[in-house]
Amino acid sequence: MSDPTSPSTRSRADDSETTTDDSGAVAGTVAALRAAARRRDSTAVFIAGLAGYLVLYLATVGDLSVIGGGGGPVTVRLAEDLSRAFASTGFFRFGAVAVVSAGPVTYLLSPLNLLLALFLAGLVGANVALTYLGLVQPRACGLESSTGILAGVPALLSGAACCGPTVLLVIGVQASATLVTGFQLLVPVAVVMLVGSLLLVGRQVEPALL
Amino acid sequence: MERPVTRRTVLGSLGATVLAGCTDSGTGGRDPVDGGSAGRSRGSAVTDGAGPPTTAERLPLPMDPSSVRSEAVSGGPPKDGIPSIDDPKFVSADDAPWLDQGDPVFGLATDGGAKAYPQSILVRHEVCNDVVDGQPVSVTYCPLTGTAMGFERGETTFGVSGRLVNNNLIMYDRGTETWWPQVLATAIPGPWNDSPAMRSLREFRLVWTTWKRWSNRHPGTEVLSRDTGFAKNYNQDPYGSYNPRQGYYSPGSPPMFTSFSDDDRLTPKTVVLGTRTPDGAAAFEKDALRERGLVDGELGEMAVLAVHEPDLDTGYVYRNPEGRRFDYRDGQVIDDSGTAHPPEELPLDRTLAFDAMWFAWSGFYPETTLYV
Repeated sequence: MSDPTSPSTRSRADDSETTTDDSGAVAGTVAALRAAARRRDSTAVFIAGLAGYLVLYLATVGDLSVIGGGGGPVTVRLAEDLSRAFASTGFFRFGAVAVVSAGPVTYLLSPLNLLLALFLAGLVGANVALTYLGLVQPRACGLESSTGILAGVPALLSGAACCGPTVLLVIGVQASATLVTGFQLLVPVAVVMLVGSLLLVGRQVEPALL
Repeated sequence: MERPVTRRTVLGSLGATVLAGCTDSGTGGRDPVDGGSAGRSRGSAVTDGAGPPTTAERLPLPMDPSSVRSEAVSGGPPKDGIPSIDDPKFVSADDAPWLDQGDPVFGLATDGGAKAYPQSILVRHEVCNDVVDGQPVSVTYCPLTGTAMGFERGETTFGVSGRLVNNNLIMYDRGTETWWPQVLATAIPGPWNDSPAMRSLREFRLVWTTWKRWSNRHPGTEVLSRDTGFAKNYNQDPYGSYNPRQGYYSPGSPPMFTSFSDDDRLTPKTVVLGTRTPDGAAAFEKDALRERGLVDGELGEMAVLAVHEPDLDTGYVYRNPEGRRFDYRDGQVIDDSGTAHPPEELPLDRTLAFDAMWFAWSGFYPETTLYV
């Protein structure tokens, strides 16, 4: 490819310098993402990763649920006060402004939760797509390729019930003030990990080899 | 202590049409919807500026108020992150087909009629600021301690602070920003008002029962509508289920947060019927009460009598200072003269009692007596 910022335009001798240079890692990742966007297979992987994580995230934070035995037509019920969209209901959680029900599926439309979910899911999708490219290209990848998927896990744990993190109910661990305080870091930690892993996996992809 | 002087008067004034189960008056409590007669005759209401009305006598705390404050933890949501219902709407029983027969509701019956507050709605709001028969009240529910309690609120409203103590909801009143832990029903210092008057709220009884039992007893009951003004999913309880009982509500499951209690005589979530006054506290295991009908006990140095009411599957606790003897036959209580009384209308002085999870009750009232 002809992108002058791509690592492929550099010599192998520059590799060590590239890996220690932040701007180089970013440029390499951007180039890899562009390459991924041009391929149908990696684009499909990106979309699948994004959609899968989006659904998983919305379900774990409680915005999306499936109630067995539910039925009936699609209904939409709006909140009276749409400013609830900006009301904090927990750590990186915001109020919903509509309840959308379709058969057994209920979705609480919280615009800010959805934006955050799309941002996280986009990062996960990008990680998955680049990991995929790293695997299909001739050059072997290191173990860090898998970190892209794992990096999205902390945010999945950030779902909270009215009082206390839901995941603790599932695993039976008792909450403490410290633990609950720690839960407010899960989303930022996930973002940092996702960006970090994206840079790691991005620099491993050689767009020229695709 | 001095007994509330008007309790008998209150019960008498309500008449047979009022479900006595909703008119218990523990210390400081009174019927919230009695047309004001009992409240006036009692004359013990205290107002704290724009705050809710309080009682002359304070309920017991497990430790000094500042220590209670220091034990408060964040449950996650910020102040009002769990929104109270401030403009409740009600529908008829026929217009609430989504309620299953076995679903829990918190019932309130008054001269003006009956109301059911479904647990599935209150688990998302915890506080419903309502007006019942012209009187401003708050119907409150804490899912983590399994406690549904009614309070008079005066001109203010209650909200959810987002903090918990012994896993219990800490409410705050919007008039004075004072913290009020729900079960303790007593002011404690908090970040928004660090020197409130240490008084206790005026309480009234809610009956924790099932929709089937409540609607059978009160076919004309109104039901809190799901049209709360908020976009919430009332089809799913984030903690588990009472119908059937599972998840966080299972008897053996641990509390969500650290509990004050290390009393393991019962499993943590076992339901007890608890009653407390400035003199002490007593708890009756609900299953045992259901099985035995009548249970004698002690609260402080006072003899008390707990009675099961089979239609609503609830219980009542009475002071029984003279140790009067009663028999329980077919859901009726027979006194020593052979007269039958409904369980909610014994000729004794009733205390305010409510269902609670054992860990919460024993944590708040470590000196409680327990009858199993």
